[in-house]
Amino acid sequence: MLNNSVESEKKMAEVETALNSDGPIIQAKDVSVFYGEKQALFDVNLDFEKNQVTSLIGPSGCGKSTFLRCINRMNDLVDIARVKGEIIIANQDIYAKDVDVVALRAHVGMVFQKPNPFPKSIYDNVAYGPRIHKTVSTKDEMDYVVERSLKRAGLWDEVSDRLDQPGNGLSGGQQQRLCIARAIAIEPQVVLMDEPCSALDPIATAVVEELIDELRERFTIIIVTHSMQQAARVSQKTAFFHLGNLVEHGDTDQIFTNPQDDRTENYITGRIG
Amino acid sequence: MSDFQSKFAVGVNPFARQSKGFGNAAIMFVLIACSCVAILVTVGIVMSLIFETIRFFEQVPILDFLFGTHWSPQTALTADVVGSSGAFGAVPLITGTLLISFIAMCIATPLGLASAVYLAEFAGPKVRSFAKPLLEMLAGIPSVVYGFFAALTIAPFIRNSGSAAGFDISSESALAAGIAMGIMVVPLVSSLSDDVINSVPQSLRDASLGLGATHAETVRKVVLPAAVPGIAGSLLLATSSAIGETMIVVMAAGLAANLTLNPFEAVTTVTVQIVTLLTGDQEFDSAKTLSAFALGLFLFVITLALNVIALKIVNHFKEQYD
Repeated sequence: MLNNSVESEKKMAEVETALNSDGPIIQAKDVSVFYGEKQALFDVNLDFEKNQVTSLIGPSGCGKSTFLRCINRMNDLVDIARVKGEIIIANQDIYAKDVDVVALRAHVGMVFQKPNPFPKSIYDNVAYGPRIHKTVSTKDEMDYVVERSLKRAGLWDEVSDRLDQPGNGLSGGQQQRLCIARAIAIEPQVVLMDEPCSALDPIATAVVEELIDELRERFTIIIVTHSMQQAARVSQKTAFFHLGNLVEHGDTDQIFTNPQDDRTENYITGRIG
Repeated sequence: MSDFQSKFAVGVNPFARQSKGFGNAAIMFVLIACSCVAILVTVGIVMSLIFETIRFFEQVPILDFLFGTHWSPQTALTADVVGSSGAFGAVPLITGTLLISFIAMCIATPLGLASAVYLAEFAGPKVRSFAKPLLEMLAGIPSVVYGFFAALTIAPFIRNSGSAAGFDISSESALAAGIAMGIMVVPLVSSLSDDVINSVPQSLRDASLGLGATHAETVRKVVLPAAVPGIAGSLLLATSSAIGETMIVVMAAGLAANLTLNPFEAVTTVTVQIVTLLTGDQEFDSAKTLSAFALGLFLFVITLALNVIALKIVNHFKEQYD
């Protein structure tokens, strides 16, 4: 028992050092996804750099969201989904048998397409993750974590005087920033965002995009987006998916100014998709 | 251009009302007539309840009825007996009704909720496909069957285990009726709660799971709190059906109007008294028979209020997530 906890602590320390070292934080190796008989993703190989924003772009049904959901194993929730290949985060294959998805998702947070705050107070929404993972022990500490998360999500000034009010009462853009605050309250290393602005108006979108750029300092961000302007604005790296294949990836500037593949060029110039 | 002209001939109003034929009007008439029957019958029943109740209160003061603690309508028949006015205090009936409904809900709430949570959240599609119809089959059993199940199985069991422990328990008890009634409303609670839990949006579950909560934590901290108003509504509906239930109580709870909260004693309920007051040949102007209408109206008001509150809660909950 004692041995076990020492070992797990050792493993945690290993993970921490791996996460803090240089080099790619996430490596996807030959990732394929099947929904029943149908293959949705074909042998994707892709590395993600630390503290960078990577955009996944491509037409609807190209597998970009499927790939994103592989990174924190949300595809486990789909009964018929099957994942082949390896995704290595901090030297660990997250599809290995001994991986606990609960611990994985504490390191790899997620923000969804539609803002989905819990029907609880703003405070309880942000405090949900820390309470689940018991990373915070005292009330003062929790107050501090909630305040820090809301500040990082750029929402503190708007809600600091009504933390006890329900999160659903906020506007759409505020709700999405609340969801971002909720995701970063447990200090994940990676934040996955699945079209986080598709339900927001242009002004709220601009606010969230600005926020994404600020969050890059602390977190590695992978964002799925339908808007190529958004990809160009917020990301340093871009990966283009088409029909389940990773067609091309590289620096955002290069992808948008000098694409190597015809399909990429056709997509970003609006000829397909 | 020519098309346009042919469709809209000069001088003719193209939007003029055209005859829709006899069929349309006939169908409309039949539909309206059918719905009117249901509405008129309801209005008629409520009216007769109200008028007969008013006649009853001309003979018995309303305060005696609402707050009297003694119920023995039989004495009212024999005019030569001393105290022939009878006693129409409804309090023992109401406490009996509430006691049995309370016992029923104590049984039905945990059983119904637990099975709803299991069916909605944890059961695989295979288990669900046979467990849900099986559970709903309970709702198809006639209440008279529950009644003799209560009278012939549950009540003797309670009396025997009581006498083994040295207690003297009558063979007709509130507990026996309450248990049978509780089992009867389990499918109501579970299928309504199941619907409510299923209507909690998947996005909330995703959010919780995406933060690294386990499935059990997600159910406990997100799904159930979000479903609480709807669950409360389903419990209220179950309560009102328990209050209105008759057969089980007639067979298992007894006729003695005891004012007691002891579940091992025989009690009687509003519905049972209505049955006994109106079975057999009766004269329809005595206070005894008229009191049945007062009881009926009383029951109607209570269950109607519970149903309205329950539906309000359930609807409010639905709107929140649509």
